Amino acid sequence: MNAIWAIAAKDLRLLLRDKADLFWVLGFPILIAFFFGSISGGGGKRAVMPVAIVDQDQTAYSRAVVKQLRSSEALRAEEASLDSARLLVRRGDLVAYVALLPGTGESFGFGGDSTSGVEIGVDPRRTAEREYMRGLVTAALFQSMQGSYASGGGGREMIQGSLERLRADTTLGAEVRGQRSRLLQSLDQFMSVLDSTGGAAGPIAAAGGSSAGGNASGGPNLRVVEIAEEDSGPRSAYEVTFPSSIAWALIGVCMSFAVSIVYERITGTFLRLRLAPISRSQVLAGKGLAAFLAALAAVSFVLLIGVTAFHVRVSNPLLLAAAIASSAFCFTGIMMIVATLGRTPASVSGAGWAIMMIMSMTGGGMVPLIAMPAWMQRVSDFSLVKYAVLSVEGAVWRGFGWSEMLPVLAILLSAGAAGVVIGTRVLQARDH
Amino acid sequence: MNAIDVASLRKSYGSLTAVDDLSFTVARGETFGLLGPNGAGKTTTIGMIVGALSPDGGSVTVDGESDPTRPALRQRIGVAPQALALYQDLTAEENLRFFGSLYGLSGGRLAERVLWALDFSGLAERRRDRVSAYSGGMQRRLNLVCGLLHDPPVILLDEPTVGVDPQSRNAIFESIEQLKREGRTILYTTHYMEEAERLCDRVAIMDRGKILALDTVEALLRAHGGPERAVSHVTIERGTLEDVFLHLTGRMLRD
Repeated sequence: MNAIWAIAAKDLRLLLRDKADLFWVLGFPILIAFFFGSISGGGGKRAVMPVAIVDQDQTAYSRAVVKQLRSSEALRAEEASLDSARLLVRRGDLVAYVALLPGTGESFGFGGDSTSGVEIGVDPRRTAEREYMRGLVTAALFQSMQGSYASGGGGREMIQGSLERLRADTTLGAEVRGQRSRLLQSLDQFMSVLDSTGGAAGPIAAAGGSSAGGNASGGPNLRVVEIAEEDSGPRSAYEVTFPSSIAWALIGVCMSFAVSIVYERITGTFLRLRLAPISRSQVLAGKGLAAFLAALAAVSFVLLIGVTAFHVRVSNPLLLAAAIASSAFCFTGIMMIVATLGRTPASVSGAGWAIMMIMSMTGGGMVPLIAMPAWMQRVSDFSLVKYAVLSVEGAVWRGFGWSEMLPVLAILLSAGAAGVVIGTRVLQARDH
Repeated sequence: MNAIDVASLRKSYGSLTAVDDLSFTVARGETFGLLGPNGAGKTTTIGMIVGALSPDGGSVTVDGESDPTRPALRQRIGVAPQALALYQDLTAEENLRFFGSLYGLSGGRLAERVLWALDFSGLAERRRDRVSAYSGGMQRRLNLVCGLLHDPPVILLDEPTVGVDPQSRNAIFESIEQLKREGRTILYTTHYMEEAERLCDRVAIMDRGKILALDTVEALLRAHGGPERAVSHVTIERGTLEDVFLHLTGRMLRD
């Protein structure tokens, strides 16, 4: 086993030192994913979040909040009913919804009970979007409240409404009612003075912001409701292009190692490997292990870039790990077969790339599987690239369960095993 | 018991007979030369002795064992192939560590043998340079010591001085002479007469897969050098052109 590890470690080191090989294995797939993702509208979509706004309050204040949210450059807001908004978020058509429940205007979105205030509905996995929405809504509540006070009439109208409700409230004691009534009347007087002097904007704005910020009720009455998305489709173009681009990472590894086997034969290092006190199977196992590890690393790296830089979201990490491992094994087997296609690096490279291009074209490496016409999808059944891409898509956005994933993994593993057995036998026979 | 015993060995590639009924023995501690022009069958013979090629007929016994593919026997054989068998993108040290690990060396023993090999080949100072940056002579010396890392008693050297400068050739000769002094068995192929004359105890002259003559250099001269004649002349002792070259350029390795 030590010899196998030594051969694998040596081959991986050689791969890392060959900048051209490294580009084809790591750089090219990311470029492909980025290029096709951006021309398919993937770029820039994440910057503007599509959301629904539900105004059940229908007060001047709630309308001001809606106006604030719609004016945000970070949101593409559309008004909808609460049921409709929940459905759209669940289907993944919208990132979130913001519902201004009845009674929001009375409390300026602050305080109140559990049936009033503001509700944000978002998928629990969208932690970043959730916090971003919370910040945007809080800012909109403050700004709208500030606007209401600053506009004078709007603020005094609310004070008068509050006074009327206070007078009608029989549950409060006379003393408490008197205190609150005096406070509201003083505030009304203060605002009437400001109205007459026309100096509302500056100081009142500051007073409004300050008072709201230090609200005794403990801040805005914001609730986040978890709406689990159904994962019924890709959420961005990159969720299609990155799984497709793993085909190029796998092909890059496959070709690099297949050519390296033939190159070793003609340069004599393979002879020295064969003269060492290890079996031919161990030599080829070392080569296979190196290719498998390189494929694992390359696909993982490409997807990591997709997740971290392009917001590709993995629905099921465990299934993704199984998909990556099975795809890497499959292409290790293909590598062993490709290595038998010629006796020189040029002949192996030529024959190998010809086969790989056809497999990639028909298997979703160039045209995404989701965009293929029906006849091409049938043709793609014969390409192993399809099953590698499909397995990763299944774990990223297709929402595969184990029952859907296992047949795909079985095809990949069977093809890999067949390739390893056939390739090893042919290469061993050629040594005699 | 002989270190190497080759009996009636045959190998053909299609209609071409590369080795034709070849038989010879190499005693323990002996340096045996296979001397012949290109295409004589020397490399094919070595390939069959080490088990890299399957013979069409005949037998090979090395160190008393008839299956050269057995790992235990391969541990006792060191080979320097004619084609440079080195990874160009690895350093000398990385090449040595890798090939040493294939022979089961590890830890302190591997480090010790790598140091020995670097010193023996005069590459200690360039140990961390990639092989692709080495001169032809340096690569030949590294190719030689990669086969000696595991300290084998039987060594097969297939034209180890091809394409090297006189300094490196001289260094390789001195290395081989040291191995001789240590009592190792050496099978040495070459098409340079002076190399065989300098290094080998016995020489087999091969052509077209057959041995044409086999004996000590002295005996071969007596047998095939023509009748002895008494010639009276004045001998002016002088060196060869190689002596002149080494005198002018020095014996120090240049790379």
